[in-house]
Amino acid sequence: MVSTIKHYVSVASCWARLAIQRQLEYPLFLFSWLLMIPIQYFSGIWMLKIIVDRFQALNGWDFPQLTFLYGLGLISHGIFVVFFINTWSIDHMVINGGFDRLLLRPMNVFFQLVASYVNFIGLIDCIPGVIIFLYGAEIAGFDWSLANIGKLILVLIGGILIRAALFTSLGTIAFWTKRNGSMVGFALTMLERATMYPLSMYPYFLQALFTFIIPIGFISFYPAAEFLNADSGGLDLPLSFALWTPLVGIICFLIAGGIFKFGMKNYESAGS
Amino acid sequence: METVIEVKDLVKEYIIVKKESGLRGSIKSLLFPKKTKFNGVNGISFSIAPGEIVGYIGPNGAGKSTTIKMLTGILHPTAGSIKVCGISPQTDRKAVVRKLGVVFGQRTQLYWDLRLGESFELLRRIYQIDKTAYDENLAVLTDVLKLQDFIDTPVRQLSLGQRMRGDIAAAMLHSPSVLFLDEPTIGLDADAKHAIRNFIKEINRSRGVTVILTTHDLDDVEQLCSRIIVVNNGKIVEDGPIGSIIHKLTPHRMLVVELHEPCNDLTTPHATVIKQEGLKIWYQFEKESITASELIAALSQKLPIQDISVMEPNVEDAIREVYKTTATV
Repeated sequence: MVSTIKHYVSVASCWARLAIQRQLEYPLFLFSWLLMIPIQYFSGIWMLKIIVDRFQALNGWDFPQLTFLYGLGLISHGIFVVFFINTWSIDHMVINGGFDRLLLRPMNVFFQLVASYVNFIGLIDCIPGVIIFLYGAEIAGFDWSLANIGKLILVLIGGILIRAALFTSLGTIAFWTKRNGSMVGFALTMLERATMYPLSMYPYFLQALFTFIIPIGFISFYPAAEFLNADSGGLDLPLSFALWTPLVGIICFLIAGGIFKFGMKNYESAGS
Repeated sequence: METVIEVKDLVKEYIIVKKESGLRGSIKSLLFPKKTKFNGVNGISFSIAPGEIVGYIGPNGAGKSTTIKMLTGILHPTAGSIKVCGISPQTDRKAVVRKLGVVFGQRTQLYWDLRLGESFELLRRIYQIDKTAYDENLAVLTDVLKLQDFIDTPVRQLSLGQRMRGDIAAAMLHSPSVLFLDEPTIGLDADAKHAIRNFIKEINRSRGVTVILTTHDLDDVEQLCSRIIVVNNGKIVEDGPIGSIIHKLTPHRMLVVELHEPCNDLTTPHATVIKQEGLKIWYQFEKESITASELIAALSQKLPIQDISVMEPNVEDAIREVYKTTATV
């Protein structure tokens, strides 16, 4: 067991190093991301400010709380994009036979899929995320107690697992449909709307959907509601939301792993 | 008999949806798809002994790649059993692939943007190769495949021949006992082909590596393989030593005779005229019933012969013959 973990860590760290080297081969590409990503998200939060200032709070969420939520959603998105971006390309790999090589190596296929590309460019998404989150925490009066910091870390881990599970499950559909590129874009939009804005502003049906069926409400909305004592849209669970997030994350991740394994059985490779 | 690979009644079934032309056809096949089952591999059995070099050949779409993919654990067979080194690749993939080296000539496992050596380092960790064993092995591979000139070059800047040598080295780093080569010489120049064939002979001789080779280059087959398995339409149509297959498939030989002057009676009871171009005549004869020298002797008595040559049948003719006769099975 220990030697297995050592083996996987050694391979993952080598892959991480190779991924950095590969990305440094194209510095201008890196630079363009560095320029575009912050613009995208800072303008997003600016829009939110204008809407709240001109009109009213969104279902009881005022601007400081919205900023906190937006920042939390963005950080978990950023970290997800660093470690799990390859879950977006499962359909490519199904069509062009990319799983062949992974199946020829004596390691877990899902591990290889994920670990083979650590996307450091994704850290750029974290920069506006961290800035917006810290600003939001400041103006919303977030209590930086040790317990809260611990919960925050659990929430981030759980949120990332939920995202990974969602994209893995969607990608796995490609083992049957062969093509599902637009699903990634669709899921990204859905995630942005459900994790960076308060879920409670949506109709009851959508709230239920994003809580019990596709539990992306747990990524940032419910924990943020708890941290800031904001309106959670009526959902009440024992213990704290911040502890439910990692639990939901682990369950979703295990289910997605099972779906992926089942999908692999249906893999047909590609003619060569 | 000891075997490395044991395949029994292997079947891989594909479901094909028949499409009709036009929009109407597309909608029809969407609503009422006409599904037909098609066996890409249709009941194949063979076994391979340690140290053999086997050419696995057949026309495009004959089921070669599908078989290789099932042997290496990439695809699951619909029916039949596979044992590689005594283990089933479907139930214990990780144990089997440790013993296999696989090269796909048309795809690379090397990292495009990085120097060749980086990909090797990754493989060292994936296969958990002990550092000293790795260094020794790499030194040998570097020597035989002449990697030293480009081991520090980014893979995207390598020529196709260099890249292929890199890919073969990558597949051999963990000292597999079976090497699968799927069209290893495709698109290579004569020099690179030569280097790769030499390497295959060398590892087979010195390490006893079993090699299974698919190729369309019959020179590869002639120079390397002691045995060939010919597949067509998902079935094995020939399996045996290369010489006896050629002999069996092409019992005819050809004698080409060039005359001084035109001659009216060209016939001979020992051979048939199959082609005539001006003064040049092609005779086909059975090598079982008459030797070339007897035929020449017989012909020279009645014809004014200027020049003469005997054409040997070759692998290419033999294989084309097999493809043709089994195409409609």
